[in-house]
Amino acid sequence: MPRNQRRYPSSHLNTKRQSTGMRPLIVLCVLSIVVLTFYIREGEYGPIHAVRSAVTTITSPVRFAGSLAATPFNALGNVFSNLTASQETLSELKAQNDELTAKVAELSEAQETAERLQELVGLQSTYNLQSTAARIIGGSSDAWSQTVTIDKGSANGMAIGMPVCNAYGVIGQITETSLNTSTVLLITDESSGVSAMSQRSRAQGMLRGQPDGTLRLEYVSVDDDVKTGDIVITSGIGGVFPKGLPIGTVSSVDRSDNDIYYTIVVRMQASTENNEEVLVITSLTDEQRASDDDVAAANDSDDVSADTSVDDADATDSGDDTSDDTSDVDDSTDEE
Amino acid sequence: MQLRETGRPMRSIIVLSVVAALLQVGLAPQLSVMGGTLNFMLALCCALALTSDVSSAVYIGFCCGLFFDLTSSGPIGLMALIMTVAGFGLATASRGVMGGLTPESLRLAGIVILLVNLAYGLCLFLMGVQGDLLWALFGHGISSTVLDILLAALFLLVLSGQGPQRTFSSRPRGSRYKLNR
Repeated sequence: MPRNQRRYPSSHLNTKRQSTGMRPLIVLCVLSIVVLTFYIREGEYGPIHAVRSAVTTITSPVRFAGSLAATPFNALGNVFSNLTASQETLSELKAQNDELTAKVAELSEAQETAERLQELVGLQSTYNLQSTAARIIGGSSDAWSQTVTIDKGSANGMAIGMPVCNAYGVIGQITETSLNTSTVLLITDESSGVSAMSQRSRAQGMLRGQPDGTLRLEYVSVDDDVKTGDIVITSGIGGVFPKGLPIGTVSSVDRSDNDIYYTIVVRMQASTENNEEVLVITSLTDEQRASDDDVAAANDSDDVSADTSVDDADATDSGDDTSDDTSDVDDSTDEE
Repeated sequence: MQLRETGRPMRSIIVLSVVAALLQVGLAPQLSVMGGTLNFMLALCCALALTSDVSSAVYIGFCCGLFFDLTSSGPIGLMALIMTVAGFGLATASRGVMGGLTPESLRLAGIVILLVNLAYGLCLFLMGVQGDLLWALFGHGISSTVLDILLAALFLLVLSGQGPQRTFSSRPRGSRYKLNR
């Protein structure tokens, strides 16, 4: 007897077994894991990244449209953000707001834009930056990463690793590029790291993003002199970020007993509002790189720098996105 | 025996899918409320899985997850994996449940959305993308879950083609008939 006749006896009833969905489930789960593994293992220019880049390019008109449509509603998002702020922060902001309201009341949106552009040009000329202007067109699609998308891509000369700043200072670094857009990992992201120092005392450390969106200047020895209100700037070590760009101000300095490092919280100077203009620094001059003396000073700043370099190396290896973000740190540790 | 109504008009499903995809690309990056963001693809996956057979729900979950991965900055394949399993689980669990916006379907969708967001946060933590587990799970995960449940309710309402369906199964407890004692 043929096999099919055994399975389907002579009946007109529909005896076809209803699918339990196990087969597609297993196949697609395996496929997902394979894609995920390739994504993690391949370089930034691998095929999976290329597919994302192509999708980003294709969908960029929708992103631009979304950016334009959402602009009037950005203030609504600020209202929700304010609801979660602490009372102390709100009081401080209220006082600042009273002070600033009189100053900004007479300025129109056009004037603000003109001022921002003027400041960008000022920053560009002050620091002699070789840069390209771009505009932020969106934030992160998921809640777990701090990124923004800018409207310039590889067709405009953008490349992975280029630092990005606005009129008030550094905001992040390009981690992905498509033809006409780029993704910028903000310095407030947990996987981000920038070599920085106090402008006043030249105490060097590494600025890292925190889960709550704040910034911390780590690995600053308690022997160094850091005070609240100090301006934090990039140290230029590693040659990724130009030396001397402002990042923020020290909002608190804590030290517990037996600690060898300060706990320094830094308030970011720059904001990343939608439609804001930014500068992408395309190359550095020799003056913008850290000198040998700076590197030596960073190495001599404390006796436990070796521990720091180990931690940094671990952080660099911890994730695929991290490798670029801490590339300047890697360079510094290599020099060590 | 298939108890659920799976004969939704294909046209409305396609239109809803296209709209959700456009909103995922255009609107999701612009809106962030209390640390959470809108995941239109997760809401779409839940809404469709509730009215589909198990095999279709698995494919829907994979496609929605992969689209999310490709349009976000997270690891590609992670959300596809999680939403594939979620689609399977939701379609399996919702056998016998009426489609549309009913308390039962919304409860199932809410549970799945919560589990998906928690699983995604946990995986990101294990992969080293997130450094703080509590923040990854309860900071971003919970707020995103609330937003996604609201979206899923909206999609279920659209798919039902009318307001909340009042049927026998929509009554959460008790009976329509009172017994004289």
